[in-house]
Amino acid sequence: MVKLYEVAKVIRTKNAGPFKLTIDIFFTNTEFYEKAKNIITKHLISRLYNVSEDFIEGIYFVDSVLGVKITIIKEVPSDDVKTSDVYAAQQHGPLIDLDI
Amino acid sequence: MDEIRVYDVSAQIGYGFPVESLETALKWNPHVLVAQGTSTDAGPYYLGAGTSYTESECVKRDLKLIIKASREFGIPFICSVGGAGADVHVEGVLRLINLISKDLGTKLRIAVVSGEIDKDWLKKKLLSGSKAGRLVNISRLSEYLTIDDVDASVRVVAQMGPEPIIKALDLYFRGEVDGIITGRSLDVGVVAAYPLKFGMPKNLVYHMSKILECGAIAAEPGSSSDGIFGVVNKDYFLVKPPNPRRRCTVTSVAAHSFYERDNPYMEKLPEGYLDVTTAKYIQYDERTVMVSGSRFVPQPYTIKLEGVKLVGFRSISIAGSRDPIFIKKIKSILEDVTEVVKDRLNHIPQDEYVINFRVYGINGVMGQYEPVKNPQPHEVGIIIDVVAKTQEKANSICALVRATLLHHGFEERKTTAGNIAFPFSPSDFPAGPVFEFNIWHALELEDPTEPFKIKVIEFPR
Repeated sequence: MVKLYEVAKVIRTKNAGPFKLTIDIFFTNTEFYEKAKNIITKHLISRLYNVSEDFIEGIYFVDSVLGVKITIIKEVPSDDVKTSDVYAAQQHGPLIDLDI
Repeated sequence: MDEIRVYDVSAQIGYGFPVESLETALKWNPHVLVAQGTSTDAGPYYLGAGTSYTESECVKRDLKLIIKASREFGIPFICSVGGAGADVHVEGVLRLINLISKDLGTKLRIAVVSGEIDKDWLKKKLLSGSKAGRLVNISRLSEYLTIDDVDASVRVVAQMGPEPIIKALDLYFRGEVDGIITGRSLDVGVVAAYPLKFGMPKNLVYHMSKILECGAIAAEPGSSSDGIFGVVNKDYFLVKPPNPRRRCTVTSVAAHSFYERDNPYMEKLPEGYLDVTTAKYIQYDERTVMVSGSRFVPQPYTIKLEGVKLVGFRSISIAGSRDPIFIKKIKSILEDVTEVVKDRLNHIPQDEYVINFRVYGINGVMGQYEPVKNPQPHEVGIIIDVVAKTQEKANSICALVRATLLHHGFEERKTTAGNIAFPFSPSDFPAGPVFEFNIWHALELEDPTEPFKIKVIEFPR
């Protein structure tokens, strides 16, 4: 078993507008990408991010670039007085230790 | 024309770009120079406060190079400017253009397309039956935009599509202006306007524009402060960075469809959407990628409206703790402190202020998403964050929270001279007005140019 953080070339998060968090993961190794495709589900993201599956707008796999995109509707939008991350640039923490 | 050549000089006006890149790109004979300078990325504050998030010296430097190149090569420029992109922001940039015109010793006639939406026009539109549905299904936004929302907003802008810019380009081709400056604009539209005017296919133009709009971010190594060149014809388009240190690869270009978007296959546009599922990317030469095969799907025309309302004023205090018992009990201590303060403030309605603690070392970065439960760091950083109806109230509530937290007598406490360390004196900072988006809706529009006024302004003024 290896951790996602070790095998992904890029794990980044950002706003897609103030009301959505979008997570991009890119791989260089097809084997790890294919494994991630099987592991990353709405159920998993719901558990890792402690959000209801209804808030997970979509999970997309783009084989040609070995990329995964996960988009979550935020309960605390980035323009909310209680936001902790205006650009949503540091929201990848729950994925770091994911076993691939 | 058989093909249209577009040079996008940078990811954002004010982020800078190498002069050499512009010089190289000019040798490739672009028909038009484009750059975007509007965004909501930096949050609702700038639209509400009417200030810019880019530094004016940097904006002036970038625009001066663009305008100078445009004059020397006899080609137009199309730039969206001003950050949040309302008239007050555009006016700030027009003042810079006035200085540029004087610096260059050249007269300039510019078509200025406003991105600000007149609130009375919008209310009339809604009253006459036009619908503006919210773009994201969250309870804070009205399902359909209301008159009250418009009244509550400080100002409203809309992302103009390419159509008002095409209208301004007609002025250019009649010899009446030298270039185009817009307020809030769809980034893709700034790039797409010129090739659309010359009849290039919408699927290719929009897809190329999507890749070009962030400058060299779609290249490898990527950069937000460098340019990228695009050539579109009836069958395909090519993208290439002029900077020899960068190249476009199939991966860098295809992966760009992920950037800041909720869906990597679909790009929403005013007149429909772009579907890149079937796109083909080919490495055309060492540094150029050739793209074809995406699909444009027409839909009823809508523009995206953005508006903010004032929610209060903020005051913060920054502190830290190094005490193991305090850190272990921090959650209940902060709850108790909030209760004590609320009790002291029982003369102020509770919905008139918000007390929020941000605890770095526990969950300061991720809040509700933080998966680590019960961490035991050796120290924590605390930001006391108060938002209230007026700045004075925010200041005084923040001071009260800070003093209460400093001396709060929790059980097992050993640090009886003070619970927290302040790095600064004074310890509290007024942070000014706080805004949030209350308009984030798509308005149906029959005429895509209707709300966007065009003025011709001569410089120096």
